[in-house]
Amino acid sequence: MSEAPILEVENVTKTFGGLVAVNDVSLKIPRRMIFAVIGPNGAGKTTFFNLITGIYKPDKGRILFDGEEITGKDPAWIAARGMARTFQNIRLFGSMTAVENVMVARHVHTKTSYADALLHTPRYHREEKKALERSMELLEYMQLSHRAHELAKNLPYGEQRRLEIARALALEPKLLLLDEPAAGMNPQETEDLQKRIVGIRDDLGVTILLIEHDMQLVMSISERIAVLDYGKKILEGTPEEVQNDPRVIEAYLGRGAAEGASS
Amino acid sequence: MKKLRENPLLLSAVIAIVALVASFWLLNNPRSTLPFLLTLGALLAALLQPIPKWLKVLIGGAILLLVIPAAGFKNSFLFELGIQTGIYAAMALGLNVVVGLAGLLDLGYAAFFAVGAYTWAIFGSPQANEFMPWKIFPLPGEYFYLFMLIAVVVAAITGVVIGSPALRLKGDYLAIVTLGLGEVVRVLANNLDQPINFTNGPQGITPIQRPPIDWFIALLEKFGLQLSRAEAYPLFFYLLVLVIIGIVTLVNIRLDRSRFGRAWIAIREDETAARAMGIPLFPTKLLAFATGASFSGAMGALFAAKQLYVSPESFTLIQSIMILVMVILGGMGSIPGAILGAATVTILNVDLLKSASDYLNDLRNAGFTLDLGFFKYNFANLPNQLEPAKYERMVFGLIMILMMIYRPEGIIPERRHVLEMKEES
Amino acid sequence: MLEILIQLLPSVLLEGLILGFVYAMIALGYTMVYGVLELINFAHSEIFMAGAVAGAETFILLKGVIANPFLLLALALLIGGTVAAVVAILVERLAYRPLRKRGTTNRLVPLITAIGVSFFLQDLVRLIEGLWHNAFYRRYPSFAVFEATYNLPNWIGVITIALTVWVGFWVLAYFGDWLLRRFKNRAPAKGRTLSLVAAGLTLVFLFLYRHVVFADLGMTIQMKSILVIVVSLAMLYGLNWLVHKTKLGIAIRAVAQDAQTASLMGIDPDVIVSRTFLIGGFLGGVAGVLFGLLYTLVHPYVGFIPGIKAFTAAVLGGIGNITGAAVGGLVLGMLEMLGGTYLTFLTNGAMGTEYKDILAFMILIFILLFRPQGIIGQQLGEKV
Repeated sequence: MSEAPILEVENVTKTFGGLVAVNDVSLKIPRRMIFAVIGPNGAGKTTFFNLITGIYKPDKGRILFDGEEITGKDPAWIAARGMARTFQNIRLFGSMTAVENVMVARHVHTKTSYADALLHTPRYHREEKKALERSMELLEYMQLSHRAHELAKNLPYGEQRRLEIARALALEPKLLLLDEPAAGMNPQETEDLQKRIVGIRDDLGVTILLIEHDMQLVMSISERIAVLDYGKKILEGTPEEVQNDPRVIEAYLGRGAAEGASS
Repeated sequence: MKKLRENPLLLSAVIAIVALVASFWLLNNPRSTLPFLLTLGALLAALLQPIPKWLKVLIGGAILLLVIPAAGFKNSFLFELGIQTGIYAAMALGLNVVVGLAGLLDLGYAAFFAVGAYTWAIFGSPQANEFMPWKIFPLPGEYFYLFMLIAVVVAAITGVVIGSPALRLKGDYLAIVTLGLGEVVRVLANNLDQPINFTNGPQGITPIQRPPIDWFIALLEKFGLQLSRAEAYPLFFYLLVLVIIGIVTLVNIRLDRSRFGRAWIAIREDETAARAMGIPLFPTKLLAFATGASFSGAMGALFAAKQLYVSPESFTLIQSIMILVMVILGGMGSIPGAILGAATVTILNVDLLKSASDYLNDLRNAGFTLDLGFFKYNFANLPNQLEPAKYERMVFGLIMILMMIYRPEGIIPERRHVLEMKEES
Repeated sequence: MLEILIQLLPSVLLEGLILGFVYAMIALGYTMVYGVLELINFAHSEIFMAGAVAGAETFILLKGVIANPFLLLALALLIGGTVAAVVAILVERLAYRPLRKRGTTNRLVPLITAIGVSFFLQDLVRLIEGLWHNAFYRRYPSFAVFEATYNLPNWIGVITIALTVWVGFWVLAYFGDWLLRRFKNRAPAKGRTLSLVAAGLTLVFLFLYRHVVFADLGMTIQMKSILVIVVSLAMLYGLNWLVHKTKLGIAIRAVAQDAQTASLMGIDPDVIVSRTFLIGGFLGGVAGVLFGLLYTLVHPYVGFIPGIKAFTAAVLGGIGNITGAAVGGLVLGMLEMLGGTYLTFLTNGAMGTEYKDILAFMILIFILLFRPQGIIGQQLGEKV
């Protein structure tokens, strides 16, 4: 069972109106790998994430997560099965405190019934305590415990990004999708983030799928990379293979640049 | 003001003195509005300002349980005001779950109030004889408490029935669909007198049984209070409403601090992110909707018993809007805000606007002439149409617009409490 | 029983069509504002009401001055439309624009403001009318020319019945096919096959009920109804021209698509939003005057029910879509008249006309649940 890939994407296509955003993409992501999806702006990376997490339903193809078909399932259902994500444009619950944000993601792991919550039964206290403790642990892990009781919207940008990761980890995911986690960070923060991502994989055994523009970060931590261009997967391989492939340079810089680079 | 806040002792003293002065003023002038408002202001300040807990309980208890009832015996309108405020506060708290916490704009909230009211009205009056095979109605007043629970359940079920289609819709559509479904319930109440007479149509249902209070009168006698039934009922309903407000507030706080409350706020803040965190959208929304509905249903049953009479007139769109205005004024998502909003709007609506109308009428009838030298006006010429009490829509509309433009978070904004690690005892 | 229903059909549908034109014009206001601002402008029903009341005042004030009722109507339409347009622009300026400038993220804020404006305007008009006349109900005067009734030739009725019955059978055939597809896993039938089956059944029906269909159906139309149709068609045509052929129309469509990009192209979104309210308001006001002409009694609360129905019409046709709003209005008007008349008739008066208001809500919910993009119209993807 654990030999099977955590995520299998088979021939997935999604169109909006006349635009083919994701075109017949297939991927297999082995367990405990750090896997990156790169490509120029508008290549369909975020749409691809939205297809995997169930926000969009694919027009064609199917998606298997942990051996189970999840095509067309509700995002909440998929999340509860152990797939967590962050968003490109940070989407925290602004008027909740940092620790509450993390506790929201404990929802599926908290076994309090409605009656428990109303009557404050021992189970309510036990479960709330568990949720709070785990959330504080995760804040600690993401170096945010000093911000626990501040409103999420008042946190500085870099900490908001880390809080999103803490919140995602609270789902106890098997697969973590990071959508441009380093966007807007300074080099120091990016370096910290880099260590943190590897740490999450090593400490928690989580498979990581990330979209990122910072090539330095991608090349140094990913074990495998897929390149999307105009919705199509044009290449998949190790960082070395991807770095040296003229098609990648072409996708990023245009045809002329690729010729110039290869000559 | 700032100085006052930093000095808790001074603050406590000031509030206590104001409360004392206001109380005595009210007891000596139970019929004027100003001392009543000041007393409420003192109550509010005591509950919201950072003063010692024992002082809060003392001032709150004294004003709610001694001063207002004592003044109420001299002016029974105060009881009426208190009961109405209480009923609306409980409903505002219910709507606060739906609009404030879950961010679902429900414009048909009065429908659940109607459902609760008719639940007791039909069976607590001879009305049920019209369509039930057993001619045992009205049920005796003791059943009222049972029916309050039944009203909670029936309203919650109605909430699920109305919510099931409505909550699948995206954002803005919910408002207009709940508005429509609220009207549907009113139209049904108005028209279900044929072919089978369930609701007695526009005539409404009367007389409705009240819970018996012989035990309550006997209890008061032990404290040396001799009250007739007619005098004891307002006091009884007033105290009952206080108890219900207590329960409803507790329920509200507990839900707010559970995983359900967090899920509701998450959905309000960002549906997509909430779903990505494993929160199922539709069931969670439905839970909020049904919770809010059940509060409204309970108050409906109480309303029917208090009024002795229900008719579709009492459950119009303007009722739903009024409760919404209470939530908006107080602050969406804020529990003290909902109560404050309910008190303010109720007093405005049943007291201040009517007083203003009466005042203008008096001026008109007296033929009073305003003379500012350059401007002369004889109030006898004042058109009859100018009656503030009839312009509640304008007042509500204005409150909504101004609050949204200048203070969308309300008078008492929602404040997230600090979660603390508690050692298990 | 069925005979009477068939006989009534053309007259009921005609009445529905006339009402539908009024709905269509109100619906355009909702749909245009929604297209540009993505806001349900709850206050639009009161903009309609302002037009209706202003029209009534015009009629009443000028009745003694101008003898020609048609000229009087033209003036009332102009003034009603203008007053409504001014109200619409003021609402946008004073209530909605401050919110946009502040850039609130809470999506309930503009919606609640719109509801507040709606209630505020109701009582504002009541106050003005009350201070002015000491009463806030106004009645449109009646003119013999407008009330005059004309007979319609029978063939119009025959065609109406034939078309309606055909549509009815088509829908039945469609559902039959859907059931077969669903439970017997049959391939879906072609559209043409369905049409032909429905046409065949219609012919059989016409033959079976020839004694009703080809007898005198007694269809009549009043002058004022003809005026409603003529004015509405002219306004709808004018709007279509405005939106598709003028610079302003192109700018409105550009802002509806993407306000930010449009502003980069030198279009000031605020100006365009203002113009959109102006056009929508004017149409709403004209609809108000026509409504008053048809139903005579107007008051500050007259906008609520037509407003909700027109919104339903806009959703029915696909919100944000101008043609859709017009089509939705006509369809809703006819469905409502059919439902209202036949329901009362079939239940022997047990289910009165108030149920016809419920019908509109049921249609609204049904459409939103099963075809949220409306009859015509595209569904837009959510931005993440």
